[in-house]
Amino acid sequence: MKTGIVLRQMLRERRRGVLWWSVAIAALTAITAASYPAVKDAGSVFDQLMEQMPEGMLELFGAEGGITSPGGYLNSQLYSNILPILLLVYGIGMAAWSIAGTEREGTLEPLLANPVSRSQVALERFAGTSLLLTVPMAVSTILLIATRSPFELDELGVGELIWVGVGTYLLVLLFVSLTYAVGAATGSRGAAIAVGAGVAAGTYVIFGLSSFVDFFDSVRWLSPWDWFLSNSPLTDEQTWPAFVWPLVVIAVAVPVGTAILARRDLG
Amino acid sequence: MSAVGTGGSTTARRSRRYDRQVTGSPVIDIRALTKRFGSLTAVDSLDLQVAPGEIYGLLGPNGAGKTTTIRTLLGFLNPTGGSVQLLGSNPRHTAVRHRVGYVGGDVVLDRGLKARDLLKWYADLRGGVNPATINSLCEHLALDPTRKIGELSTGNRQKVAIVQALMHEPDVLVLDEPTSGLDPLLQRSVLELIRARRDAGTAVLYSSHFLPEVENLADRVGILRRGVLVREDTMANLREVARQRLELRFAQDVPTDLLTGVDGVSNVEIVDRTAYVLVDGSVAELVKRVAEYDVDRIVSHDEDLEDVFFQYYQDGEDGR
Repeated sequence: MKTGIVLRQMLRERRRGVLWWSVAIAALTAITAASYPAVKDAGSVFDQLMEQMPEGMLELFGAEGGITSPGGYLNSQLYSNILPILLLVYGIGMAAWSIAGTEREGTLEPLLANPVSRSQVALERFAGTSLLLTVPMAVSTILLIATRSPFELDELGVGELIWVGVGTYLLVLLFVSLTYAVGAATGSRGAAIAVGAGVAAGTYVIFGLSSFVDFFDSVRWLSPWDWFLSNSPLTDEQTWPAFVWPLVVIAVAVPVGTAILARRDLG
Repeated sequence: MSAVGTGGSTTARRSRRYDRQVTGSPVIDIRALTKRFGSLTAVDSLDLQVAPGEIYGLLGPNGAGKTTTIRTLLGFLNPTGGSVQLLGSNPRHTAVRHRVGYVGGDVVLDRGLKARDLLKWYADLRGGVNPATINSLCEHLALDPTRKIGELSTGNRQKVAIVQALMHEPDVLVLDEPTSGLDPLLQRSVLELIRARRDAGTAVLYSSHFLPEVENLADRVGILRRGVLVREDTMANLREVARQRLELRFAQDVPTDLLTGVDGVSNVEIVDRTAYVLVDGSVAELVKRVAEYDVDRIVSHDEDLEDVFFQYYQDGEDGR
């Protein structure tokens, strides 16, 4: 049995989808970057406004580093919220489809009547999901690198932009892997989406409110958003938790979900 | 060896030759299979074997456990008790599934794909299939493979499922109500293909809730009821138990006692020029009796198995 056939088929079927997601995220990135010169010009007013805000509020917006510096601006307008959230919508949808969705719609079973194991189908589809997610992320990063001079963001180095892109990608892939694992283990698309999106939202709240609520502050170390954002990407120095912890979670969730799928009854 | 051109690899050919040698030993082997879902026992201590070159009709009303049996046989469900084997090994082994063709109960194939692309994909997973075989199957079933599956009618979607199950000339065919949604003419084409596979030595498990469908196809039949195999026999023996409901429409008035006392005929009711009867076993006596009258039409009301074997089932019930 040759490997990669299920993966190749998934990529072929999702060409158009990934193109549209990439166009949308490229547009978002371009508009955000193109708006920076205007924000910078209005800089002093913004910064005064920011100074009046409580610290936690700034952290919630990813704006601790101020929003008028290039790094602070992209942190608060792109990497702390809209970009990972859009990628989550895309990735969670695919991960929930990969096993649970196809199992419910009935296409998984005829596929598995072929000489291909459940684990192989599952892992190739998770690989496909991971690969397809890199496309809009890469498009966004490359676009920023290419346009940082005209849009006065050239204070940011290529390395920094790649670094933050990888961090965003891993943050997203972590929740996507949870979605995949729950879908593979239970066969329920609803449960998969609920867990993936629910954990993403819940840990976002923990991180966002940790400056105001003591309890959240005591558990903020559990939040992947904290791993990625507590040292604001682009303005602070990047630290290893932003990269290592997501990989650890993915390395546990994916094999566990796949192993349960290999043993359970199909729905 | 099959008359259809083989695109199989040498390994496939070798394994077929191996089968020749063990002809007679079952390639579908279900022993004491029990499957429970919570408190529901879907299949209860089922024993079922199918030999190479044999078509086994698995009959039963909807909900009798046919699909559960088949899905366990394919390895989609784990047995609660007992065992299932395909070609002498666990159905989960991918090597086994190289030699198995399967049409599931509610066929759902990827709607976004063209039939041709789905068949190509599945053929790749099987390590390549002779395109000529695929083409001849599509032609035989009058399937246009350039259409998207989502745009096809139910019957045409069913054809795609049948083509993918047959294209690699499997040694085992497992078919869960494969002709549902097909018109009678196409049903016949499909049954022809299945017979051809049988003649090439394939073991076929064919489920249906409809007796007439397997009457002229199956070599042996098993009747499943509430998860229990209540009877297993050759088609010839079984036919004797089966009852058919017939409607005879005469061109003229007939005496009301015309059909009384005919062997095997009961529940006679004559209304105007139409006689409604229930026939046990052969209709020969009935035909003889009405021979001298002009019969315009004989309508057979094929019943669901639940009705066809009503009496048998009822006996079983009383015996509990």
